[in-house]
Amino acid sequence: MATLHIVRQSAYNTDDFAQCLQVLNTNDVIVFIDDGCYNLQHSLLNTIESSKNIQLQVITQHASARAVSINDAIFTKITMDDLVSLTFENDRVITWQ
Amino acid sequence: MADTLIKSLALLNTKAPYSNTAGKDALDIALIFGSFEQKVSLFFQGDGVWQLMAGQNGSIISVKDYLKTFAAFEFYDIDTIYVCQTSLTQRNLPANFHIEQVQVLNQQAFAQQLTLHQTILRF
Amino acid sequence: MYNFSCTIFRNKTVNKLAVMITTPPYSNLSVTALDYIETALKNGVELIGVFFYQDGVLHADAHVQIASDEFQAISHWRKLHQAYKLPLYLCITAAEKRGISDEQTQNISPIFTISGLGELVELSTMADRLVQF
Repeated sequence: MATLHIVRQSAYNTDDFAQCLQVLNTNDVIVFIDDGCYNLQHSLLNTIESSKNIQLQVITQHASARAVSINDAIFTKITMDDLVSLTFENDRVITWQ
Repeated sequence: MADTLIKSLALLNTKAPYSNTAGKDALDIALIFGSFEQKVSLFFQGDGVWQLMAGQNGSIISVKDYLKTFAAFEFYDIDTIYVCQTSLTQRNLPANFHIEQVQVLNQQAFAQQLTLHQTILRF
Repeated sequence: MYNFSCTIFRNKTVNKLAVMITTPPYSNLSVTALDYIETALKNGVELIGVFFYQDGVLHADAHVQIASDEFQAISHWRKLHQAYKLPLYLCITAAEKRGISDEQTQNISPIFTISGLGELVELSTMADRLVQF
């Protein structure tokens, strides 16, 4: 019963990512795309409870284009093909834009 | 094949009412789904909670007061309306709304209720 | 075309997709939306329609001119519409507010189907997932 969260905005600019974190449920997946990639070092990430088993994923191209480095220990690097399959592997999708 | 569950739509409202049309655009969707007898729930989070606060008057600033239309929800069978307690607390707002049937939910319950919907659109 | 759904979704065929576009053609967010949609189509996802709402309706304005060295969102929609018979539904109320009309201004690109929010209800009923971009 997991939700796919597509985060498209920088948390330094809007409240979207903070709101996303408020509605996380166990086993949800967060994918950072577009300016959402600027959140990869944001302190809000530290507020995610590890017991919720949240998967953090990033579209590699979107981060690379912005010169944002991806910490492999925290984030899974994915492609647009993966985002399409995640759309169906999860039960619902919320776009935070 | 497509699931046999009854589909339901959640509209997640996150913008204050007067400086952009997001709230009105979401309201139009809610009323259409309601008139097609589709199940729809409204969620208010972040600055979206301002859409529910009592005592507003858009006409003072020449904005069409679409919030008045919220009173019609019962005619569209829209009776699941949730507001996030955390968002109210952050803004030091009381639970004083211009419509009835609003349920104030803590963060966890708010998140749980969202998962009861197949489609979530955010405005 | 190969069928992506059989391999990754195993025994349940959950691959009917609808997309709602709310970002305008001059926004880079539209580039991502088009990439997502094209990727879905290439992978055999059944995309039952794209609904254009809010500033997304500007994609249907035949008068939009984007400098030739910038991303051409509108010609991409045309390509996808032609290659995959992808239905593109325009919310006419949102369009008219923004100067796009089939009557006075007659500036709606012919690849779009004039419709209203009722079409969104239909798409939401038919699709396994309705995703906003």
